[in-house]
Amino acid sequence: MAPATEHQSSFLSRISRRNQVVSMDVNHEQELEELEDFQKHVAEGFNELLPPSDSPESDPILSIQWLRKLLDVFMSCESEFHSVLTANQAQISKPPLDKLVPEMLDRIVKALDICTAVVNGVDSVRQIQRLAEIAVTALKQTPLSDGSVRRAKRALTSLLAAFNADKSSGGSSGGSSGGSGRRTTTTEQWSSFGRRSGGGGGGCVSKNWSAAKQIQAMTANLVVPRGSEASPIYIMSSVMVMVMWTLVVAVPCQTSNGLTVHLPLPKHQVWASAAVSITEKIGEEMKRKEMRSGGLMEEMQRMERIGLKLMEFSEGFRFNGEVEVVAEVAEMEEICRKMEDGLEVLQRRVREVFHRLVKSRSEILEVIGHCNV
Amino acid sequence: MAEFESMIPVPGVKNHVFEACHHVVKALRASDNNLDANLRKLLSDLESHLSTFGIVDTKVEDTGFSEIQERFKEALKRILSWETNQSMILEAGLSEADQFFQALYEVHTVLMGFKSLPIKTSRKEKDVYNQATVALDIAMLRLEKELCDVLYQYKQHAQPEYLAVSSRGKDIVYDESFVSLDDEVVIEASSHKDDEHIAGFQNADLVDPSVLPHIKAIANAMFACEYGRAFCEAFIRVRREALDEYMFTLEMERFSCVDVLKMEWDVLNVAMRKWTRVVKIITQIYLASEKQLCEQILGDFESKSFACFIEISKDTILSLLSFGEAVALRSCQPEMLERFLSMYEGSAEILLDVDNLFPDETGSFLRMGFHELSKKLADRTTATFLKFKDAIASAESSRPFPGGGIHHLTRYVMNYLKLLPEYTDTLNSLLQNINVEDSIPEKTGQDIRPSTFSPTAKHLRSIVSVLESNLERKAQLYADESLKFIFMMNNFHYMVQKVKGSELKHLFGDEWMRKHIARYQHNVTDYERSTWSSTLALLRDNNSVSTLRERCRLFCLAFDDVYKSQTRWSVPDPELRDDLHISTSVKVVQSYRGFLGRNAARIGEKHIRYKCEDIENMLLDLFECLPSPRSLRSSRRR
Repeated sequence: MAPATEHQSSFLSRISRRNQVVSMDVNHEQELEELEDFQKHVAEGFNELLPPSDSPESDPILSIQWLRKLLDVFMSCESEFHSVLTANQAQISKPPLDKLVPEMLDRIVKALDICTAVVNGVDSVRQIQRLAEIAVTALKQTPLSDGSVRRAKRALTSLLAAFNADKSSGGSSGGSSGGSGRRTTTTEQWSSFGRRSGGGGGGCVSKNWSAAKQIQAMTANLVVPRGSEASPIYIMSSVMVMVMWTLVVAVPCQTSNGLTVHLPLPKHQVWASAAVSITEKIGEEMKRKEMRSGGLMEEMQRMERIGLKLMEFSEGFRFNGEVEVVAEVAEMEEICRKMEDGLEVLQRRVREVFHRLVKSRSEILEVIGHCNV
Repeated sequence: MAEFESMIPVPGVKNHVFEACHHVVKALRASDNNLDANLRKLLSDLESHLSTFGIVDTKVEDTGFSEIQERFKEALKRILSWETNQSMILEAGLSEADQFFQALYEVHTVLMGFKSLPIKTSRKEKDVYNQATVALDIAMLRLEKELCDVLYQYKQHAQPEYLAVSSRGKDIVYDESFVSLDDEVVIEASSHKDDEHIAGFQNADLVDPSVLPHIKAIANAMFACEYGRAFCEAFIRVRREALDEYMFTLEMERFSCVDVLKMEWDVLNVAMRKWTRVVKIITQIYLASEKQLCEQILGDFESKSFACFIEISKDTILSLLSFGEAVALRSCQPEMLERFLSMYEGSAEILLDVDNLFPDETGSFLRMGFHELSKKLADRTTATFLKFKDAIASAESSRPFPGGGIHHLTRYVMNYLKLLPEYTDTLNSLLQNINVEDSIPEKTGQDIRPSTFSPTAKHLRSIVSVLESNLERKAQLYADESLKFIFMMNNFHYMVQKVKGSELKHLFGDEWMRKHIARYQHNVTDYERSTWSSTLALLRDNNSVSTLRERCRLFCLAFDDVYKSQTRWSVPDPELRDDLHISTSVKVVQSYRGFLGRNAARIGEKHIRYKCEDIENMLLDLFECLPSPRSLRSSRRR
C-alpha cells in the first residue's frame, strides 16, 4: 500500500529546489547504546501496564485509569524516540531507514484520525454514562415506585441499546426515548452525511471512515525487520500501532467492527514481550465478547452487566416487593463516578497525544528535509 | 400557568388528601362512562386502596375540599388523555397547555405531600403514592416528547445568504495547466466574486420566539419534578441535530487528516475557502444565538445552560478545529499563501467570539483549541510566504524564453501579489519581526504614505526584487543581446503596469514606480543602441569605410537580419510596442531618409533595395511575434 503523499501538482513547488546539506558522521557504538536504552525504556513502560497477579487493586486492563496510563507510557516512549531521532538525524535519510520513514509518517497521519475518532467515542461513552445516571437516580428513590422504575427502564433500554448500536451506518441511536418517531426521516437524511456513527454521543471523522480499516492499514507494512536489531523507527511505529489499536478496542469508534484481533508484534524481542502479553489478553477478551461495536472499556463492560441485572429487576418489579437492588445501584453509581472523574481527563490526554504526534511528524519532516535524500 | 414551587404540606393535610382521593374516585366512577382502560384501572386500584383506609366519611372540612377533589380527578384524566394524544399540546391552544401543566402541578403536589409523610406507616398510602408516581412519569415522558416536537417544528433556519458574512474581494484559483516551465503558458485566473453582504450581526432566532415561553414552562415543570436530566438530554439531542442540519445546508463536509493530505489543490482550495466562511458564520452568528437560546430556556437552572450549550456545539466545533489542524499539516506549497492568509485571518477574527462563547473552565478546551489553531495557521502562513519567495528565487530556466515576451513566472507572481494588499494588516502582524532588505531607501515625508514602509510593503518589494534577479538570470540565456534588453523591458514594463493598476501602488510607492519605469526605459535605449547603432553608423556621412553603394547594400542586409529575427520577437503590450515602433522608426527612418536624400543619385536607383516607405512599413512588423521568418519579398507592402 503506497504511503499517503502530498499532492505535488503545485507550480512553484515543482520548480523549487531543495537545499542540500552534507550528512553528518555518526558513531556506531553510540548508536547501539541508544537503541538498547530505547528498547529498555519501552519494555519498562509496558511492564508497568501488565497487571501484577499479587495486587488485585491495580487498574484492570482496559479500564479508564489503565488507558490513561497506557497513554502516559506512549508519551514517554515518544519523548525517548524524539531524543534518539535528534541524535541520529543523518541515519534517518539513508537506507534502510529511509524506506521506513515515509511509512511511519503515513501511520502518524492515520493515528491522528484515530485520536479524533477516540475523542468522539469517549463522548459516546459519556452519553451512556448520563443514561446510567438517570437510571441510578430513579432507582435510588425511596420508596421505589412504579413511576421510578418506569423511568429507570426507559433509561436502561436506551443504555443497553447503545451498547449494541450499529456502528457501520450513521444511524442515530442513544438518548432517551421521547417520541422521536417523526424525526427518523430527518436523521436518516443526515446519516449519509456520516453523522452519529459513534452511538449517539459522538460525531464522525468523515464520511465512510473506518477505524478498523485504518488500523489494518497501519499494520500492513509493519514487518519485523530482518537482521539483529529492530530500529527505533520500527519500535516506535509498533508502539504507536499497539496503542491506537488498544484505544479502538476500548472506546466505541466509528466502524470498529471487523477490527483485527492480532497485531504483528515480534513476540520474542525483549522490548515487545510485555506489549505482546497485553495485546494477547485483550485479544482473548475480544474473542469472548465477539467484539461487538460497543467498545470493551472495562467500566462499560461492568456497566452493561449491571445494566442487564437492573433491567431484569425493573421488569420483574412489583411495588412493595421484597427484592432489592441497592448493591447493584450502588455499583452502577460507582462506575458512573469513575467515568465522571476519568473520561474527561482521558479525552484530554488523547488530544495531547494528537498534538504530540503532529509535532513528531513535523520534526521528522524537518530532519529529512535537511539531509541528503 | 401553574407555579411549580415545592410545597411541604403540614401533616394535618394528610387526611384531606386521602379523603379527596376517595371522593375523586367515587365521583369519577359515577360520572363518565367513556373512561379508557388505563384510567379505569387506575381508578379501581385507587378505590380499593382507599376503601381500606378507614378515614372515610369523617372530618369533612370546608368547601375548599371538594375543589381539591375535582382538581385531582381532572388532573389524572387530563394527563392520561394526553398520553394517547400524540399531537402537540402547544397547538391545542394556550388554555389546553395551561390545563396540562395545572394537572401536572396537582399530581406533583400530591406527591410532595406524600413525601413529607412518614410513609412507612400504611401500605395503602404507599400504593396511592405509587400510582401518583406513574402519573407523574407519564406526564414527564409526554412533556419530553412535547419538547422535541415543538423544538423541531418551530426551529428557524436562516438561509445562508441572509447570514452570509462578506468575504472580501475575489477568489482566484490558479489553474496551472502547463507542462513544463519553458513552454508557452496560459494561466487561467478564474475569479469568483463574492458579493455577499454582512447582514448585520444581530442574533438570528433559531427557534420561533413565540414558543419559548411554552418550552420554558416544560423546563420548569421537568426540573421541578426532578426530571431535569431527561429534559437536558432531549434538548441537547434536538438542538444538536438542528446544528448538524445547518452544517449540511452550508455544505460543510468532514474530512479526515488522511483526506486533507491527499487532496488535490483545487479541491482543498474550495474546502479551505468554505471553512473560512463557515467558521465565521457558526461562531459569530449561529452559536451566539444558540447560547442565547440555552440561556433563555435553562438560565434558571444553575450551570445547566452552559453545560447543554457545550454538548450541543462541541462536536461541530471539534470537527471545524480538526479541519484546521489537518490543513496545518500540509507542507507550505507557495500557491496556498492566499488561502492560508484568508484562513488565518478568519481564525484570528473569531477568537474574541470564541472567548465569549466559551468563557469558563468547561469550555476552555474549545476556546484553547481555536487559539492554538490560530497560532499554527500564523506559522504556516508565514512559512508559506517565505517559501513563496524562495520558490521564485529557485525557479531556474535552462532555455531562454522564446520571443523575449513576458515570462509566465512574472505573470504568476505579479497577479498573485495583486491579491495580497487585501491582507495588509494580517501580513503586517505576521511579518513585523522578520527583517528584509528593501529595494528603496526608507523615507518619511508628506507625500509618503505610511503603508509604503509597512512590513507588508517591504516584503512584497523584496519578493519583486527576487523576481527581478531571477529575470536577469533568465535574460543571460539569450545569445542576442538585443533580445536580452527586450525581455527585460517587457517584464519590467509588465511589473510596473500591474503595480500601477492595483492596490499595490499604495504599498510600493512612487519612488519604486519611478525607479522601475526608468529601468525599462533604459532597456529601450539599450535595445536601440544594441540593435541599431552599428547599422545606423553605416549611414553616417563621416563613414568612409566603403563606397556609398556598398554602405547602402550593407545597411539593407543588416536591416534584413534585424527584420528576420526581430519580427519573431514579442512585445505584448500594445502601447509599449507602438512606442517602440515610433521611436525606432524615428531613428531609423530619419537616418535613412537623410542618407538617401543626400546620396540617392550617386548610388543609383537600381541599387537602392528599399525605399523609405518600405523601411517604415517593415519596421511595423517588428515585435509582432510572427511565427516564422517572413519572406522579405512578400512582406513588401504597397
